[in-house]
Amino acid sequence: MAEQAPGVRIGGLTVVYKTPAGELPAVRDVSLTLEPGSITGIVGESGSGKSTLALSLLNAVQPPGRISAGSVEIDGLGNVAALKGEELRKARGRHIGYVFQAAQNSLNPLKTVGKQLLDLGRSHGVEDLRGLVRDAKELLGRMGLDGARVLDSHQHELSGGMRQRVGIMLALVLNAHLVVLDEPTTALDMITQANILKIVREVHAERGLTTLVITHDIGVVAEVADRLAVMYGGRLVEQGPTREVLGSPSHPYTKGLINAIPRLVGDIDEARALPGRPPTLATVPKQGCVFRERCALRMDVCDTVDPEAVAHGPRIVACHAVTVKEHA
Amino acid sequence: MITGTGIVKTFKQRGNVLAGREVRALRGVDFAIPKGGAASFIGESGCGKTTLGRIIAGLESYDEGEVVIDGTAMSGLKPKQRQPHFRKIQMIHQDPYSALNPTRTVHQTLFAPLSLRAKQTGRSKGWIEERAAEVLSLVGLDPGSVLARYPHQLSGGMRQRVVIARALTVDPEMLVADEAVSMIDVSLRLGILALLKDLRERLGVSVLFITHDVATARYIGDDGELYVIYRGQVVERGAVDTVIADPVHPYTQSLLSAIPVLHGLERPGEQPVVPLSSLDATGDDTGCLFASRCPFRGERCDERPLLQVSEGFPQEHACFYPERRSVIARPLSEV
Amino acid sequence: MSATLIPESASAAGTMRRNFWRGVWRVMKRKPSRMAGVVIVVGFAFMGVFGPMFYPDHLPGDINQITKPPSWEHWFGTDPQGRDVLALVITGSRYVLLCAAVTAVITVVAGTAIGLFSGFKRGRWDTVLMRITDMKLTIPGLPLLLVLATVWKFGSPMQMGLVLGLLGWGGVARAVRAQTLSLRERGFIEAARGLGLSTTHIVSKELLPSMAPYIAMNMLISVTGAVYAQVGLFFLGVLPYESDNWGVMLNLAVFQAGAMIQPNALGYLLAPLLAILLLTLGIVLVVDAMDEIFNPRLREE
Repeated sequence: MAEQAPGVRIGGLTVVYKTPAGELPAVRDVSLTLEPGSITGIVGESGSGKSTLALSLLNAVQPPGRISAGSVEIDGLGNVAALKGEELRKARGRHIGYVFQAAQNSLNPLKTVGKQLLDLGRSHGVEDLRGLVRDAKELLGRMGLDGARVLDSHQHELSGGMRQRVGIMLALVLNAHLVVLDEPTTALDMITQANILKIVREVHAERGLTTLVITHDIGVVAEVADRLAVMYGGRLVEQGPTREVLGSPSHPYTKGLINAIPRLVGDIDEARALPGRPPTLATVPKQGCVFRERCALRMDVCDTVDPEAVAHGPRIVACHAVTVKEHA
Repeated sequence: MITGTGIVKTFKQRGNVLAGREVRALRGVDFAIPKGGAASFIGESGCGKTTLGRIIAGLESYDEGEVVIDGTAMSGLKPKQRQPHFRKIQMIHQDPYSALNPTRTVHQTLFAPLSLRAKQTGRSKGWIEERAAEVLSLVGLDPGSVLARYPHQLSGGMRQRVVIARALTVDPEMLVADEAVSMIDVSLRLGILALLKDLRERLGVSVLFITHDVATARYIGDDGELYVIYRGQVVERGAVDTVIADPVHPYTQSLLSAIPVLHGLERPGEQPVVPLSSLDATGDDTGCLFASRCPFRGERCDERPLLQVSEGFPQEHACFYPERRSVIARPLSEV
Repeated sequence: MSATLIPESASAAGTMRRNFWRGVWRVMKRKPSRMAGVVIVVGFAFMGVFGPMFYPDHLPGDINQITKPPSWEHWFGTDPQGRDVLALVITGSRYVLLCAAVTAVITVVAGTAIGLFSGFKRGRWDTVLMRITDMKLTIPGLPLLLVLATVWKFGSPMQMGLVLGLLGWGGVARAVRAQTLSLRERGFIEAARGLGLSTTHIVSKELLPSMAPYIAMNMLISVTGAVYAQVGLFFLGVLPYESDNWGVMLNLAVFQAGAMIQPNALGYLLAPLLAILLLTLGIVLVVDAMDEIFNPRLREE
């Protein structure tokens, strides 16, 4: 594969889960482009479908879920949604590195990190295992850890921040150039979080990666991402350059989310919780806008017609109220 | 009024019979939370803030020092005698999913403590039902629709509200909220924080907030006190807004520097402080505890600084070289 | 606030109970196998309670019908005394099932009580009780039963059940203790303590229901264990044939009627075996539903 950052084009992706109430979409008609060499952040609450979207990038949605429509085109790999079996397994790890949610728990507690590294190498048919270990040590050293010591450690001997770094190392050591980080800093405290985010930024630049960060925390995206995409109820409601979206959010949900973040200065009473609560797979509206129940700008059309994602310059927003305002 | 003086707690690590390692969780902490007042403990995980909260709620013992609840010292009392005092202090756990019994409905959850209360005060059964509805309304839930539900039928935010309602059944004087919003959806967090603030104002319940997210600490109210705890020692203590806006201890400054900046809305502080290394709780115990990570280490740092007031700073701090630094992000609109 | 209707607690409890049974019904309906299991288990219970009433105390033997193969008249054939095998299975079921029930109750009550107490109190009580449990677990059951059989005749199923129960609670106690230890660290137990609720409340209302599926499963499984154990003892012939039951039938079928070489006696051998198999099957099918019955989330779904 090419040694430079791949671009990713997700088109019309729909992922459904089989439930007693029929097949319900966790991700519905999502289109998103990851520019080569960019860091994109996806923000959403529980049940927004952000993790399912990330898994679709590896075509790793587990039953009862399945990709029911759409494509995931990755440069050098083709449409991942159509890959199967051995091809798919090779693609994961080799081309796409995935740092799992709470990497704290994704390590095998019974094996040392080094053993797990060798297992990973063998399962991907790496000939030069010595080289692999050397690369791993280098990566860990780059992230401020003592590589030899970490490879000799078991999971319980490492702190949360160290485990997260080990997770990043395992995702990158096979020379993947597309990296997905799922909730990279959840359960870490502030100083460790700042540290990990700095590492993510630096490693991204040095190795020439395309990075996707999935998180519920806008602060995390604000720190690392060039582009920001906001998910709600399985839909992508707004996307655009991070600074622009944060500085002047268009979609009422994005506005509400930013408003709900407690800040260090200013009048705290300005910050406000969103009314209502995020929908689950079962309660998400089947028709019309998914956000309308909590929306201050709700109109009649929102009950029946699902707003289309409309581009306003570099920004793409799916909201009737915003579209109306643009045309007015 | 709940006060503590010189609280010391040491955990003996089990698992190794030959070499039992000791971890100093708290090294002589003083605190005072007035009736109806508020305080928050902030620090990294493992700094001892949760242990201190649990000691205050009577869920953990302490080795030295004294906790005084409304004038009664706890250390002289037998566990049975302590219980009614500690009942005035109710804990709100971090995880609303494990804090409610999955096999019991909201009604059953509230009924048990209320009927105990009714028995003690000689009230009728009708009072229990009335009071159950009342505490639910206080936390912003509709009694009619939640009483018969099981925890799994409620969202995370609603569960946390039920947990708070359950705490209110015993008319507590203080709520100890340990990371009470960290497991709740972002758009709903503020609702819970506002509720705690509201209960403070309406019922005069004091609130102790334990968190690693400094910004949420502002929600307890501007008369609240902030305690910055590092490796079992309070390193800075003062009014919430003072400590956040003008921190003087390098550790507080590194905590505040680490908070993500909302680029596009804010610009970062000019003098961010980054610790030299990550937390090593097993590090040496002599001198200033933060010295090994401190970028501003000086000659005197081989001694242990005590929490003190020094000229020019309104807050207490434990640093020989206190200095104001502009570390926090400020809104672009402010310039 | 006053506008909200609050049901009285008595009727609320009644509604809860009704909801529970409706939930149980729903869980059972989910899989036909569960219904089959319930039918089998209820059928056996019915057989044990009422079955023997339909037959005289001493079953009449027909001298012309000694050790016959199955026929329309005698579905499982007859025994060497000319008695109907099906009638023997039915009259013999009372001893077997009563004994199994007594065993199950003793196992579960003793095991749960000791496990709960040990896990909840911890400390010295825990150490003492668990040492006793360990010691009890090291006692080999079968040899002890063989020795006991020489001095005790086990004429009544109660005695038999008592002995089997006292031999069987160790495993349950260990398991319940482990569960208790993990549950007591949960937030809701800590909260109950903080609210000043009594230990009785915490144990009976908070801990026990969380362990109910576990306990119910153990109870059902110990029924099968007890059936095997006693049938085995009677089959081996270490206990005198003072009563009618399936074990005695098996013993007589093999050693007296010679079912191994006599095809005519095959029905006599198979009938009690089939009964045991069917009972075990029924219990296994019902156990499958326990988790869903006692977990409100799975029950209501």
